Amino acid sequence: MTPTVTETSGIQIRQLHKSYGSLDVLSGLDLTLPAGHIYGLVGPNGAGKTTLMSTICNHTFPSGGTILVDGENPAENAGVLERMCFIHEDQPYNDVFSVASILHVMPNFYPDWDAALAQRLVARFQVPVERRARKLSRGQKSAFAIVISLASRAAYTFLDEPYLGLDPTAREIFYEELMTDFGAHPRTIIMSTHLIDEAAALMEEVIVLHEGEIVLQADVDDARSSAYVARGLADEVRAFAQGRDVIAQRTLGRILSATIRGQVTPGDEDKASANRISLEPVSLQDLIAALGIHTLTNALTTENR
Amino acid sequence: MAFANDRPIFLELADTIAADVLAGLYPEESQVPSTTELAAHYRINPATAGKALNTLVDAGIVYKKRGLGMFVATGAPEALRRERRAELHTHYIAPLLTEAKRLGLTPADVVDLITKDPS
Repeated sequence: MTPTVTETSGIQIRQLHKSYGSLDVLSGLDLTLPAGHIYGLVGPNGAGKTTLMSTICNHTFPSGGTILVDGENPAENAGVLERMCFIHEDQPYNDVFSVASILHVMPNFYPDWDAALAQRLVARFQVPVERRARKLSRGQKSAFAIVISLASRAAYTFLDEPYLGLDPTAREIFYEELMTDFGAHPRTIIMSTHLIDEAAALMEEVIVLHEGEIVLQADVDDARSSAYVARGLADEVRAFAQGRDVIAQRTLGRILSATIRGQVTPGDEDKASANRISLEPVSLQDLIAALGIHTLTNALTTENR
Repeated sequence: MAFANDRPIFLELADTIAADVLAGLYPEESQVPSTTELAAHYRINPATAGKALNTLVDAGIVYKKRGLGMFVATGAPEALRRERRAELHTHYIAPLLTEAKRLGLTPADVVDLITKDPS
């Protein structure tokens, strides 16, 4: 399968609303995802990650707004939906069937299904093929879902927290197989995760969702260079941070670590070292945690902005 | 290799490959791993691996043979050696002297330590 990339290829979302009863999960979300990249979807529990993916995949209907996949509305559109594979955090399978029989019927759902890849991955993850899906352990269920997502070769693959119960060895296998297969068969992969630093190297772009809104969409390296940490004696760090955009701070005794939005200039470095302040890079995970807290604080103090 | 968390991964990877070239692991005119191989091996996005290789192409350390892959340029180890000698002061001597000063050691004390070093 060679995906043809055109100006309409990819996902375009405009003013997407989704509410469950009186609960607004997504409130006017805009998102453009060009095809052929790996996107990391991150944010706290309840931010709307699963809802966003379910809505794009037409597992649930939007309350308002438009979604276009390769220029078409995916809602009950078989031509679009067969290009999508969505692996839920807790993927339900029809429990009377064995792993082998589920794999056997998969080509009916995914036109680009690669049976040889599925066989190889099942063996590598040591998923017992004769066992009923219901009887698989938590980790085996996750591994099996990963096998399906990779072997589907779907043009749009959605992975919602794909590695519950997977041990570090199995996660490393997953990362390696994902990169290998993506390299050979480029496609669009959207993966939600809480293991941000561990998965950061896999992503080209990170999308931070917070309370149903996108608070950051950026290249991973650009995101990390969008903030830094100033660490030193509390008074000196406070003086240094004066007039800067501080998005998080933590203290340890007399030491204050402030996460500051912006880029370090050579002048900053001189000023910092003269005041025994060290300027350090921020991890993606710390940045995202800081943004989450920052957004909340901002919401409470919007009159200042 | 685990990537340090303080620099973009593509720079870390470019440095690693350059260090391997310098150490002779990839001799002149030998092939370096492809984007796909690097991505799978280090579990990083192929775009990141591609950026690392492009950094090395821009630096003249590797070059592309159309349809074949990336190869170590003739003279690359010598060029790297020259570049690293020029950077020895910034990367090693200056931090060493800063630390020595913090510990109350003079440059002469440091020279003394260096000359007495058993290795």
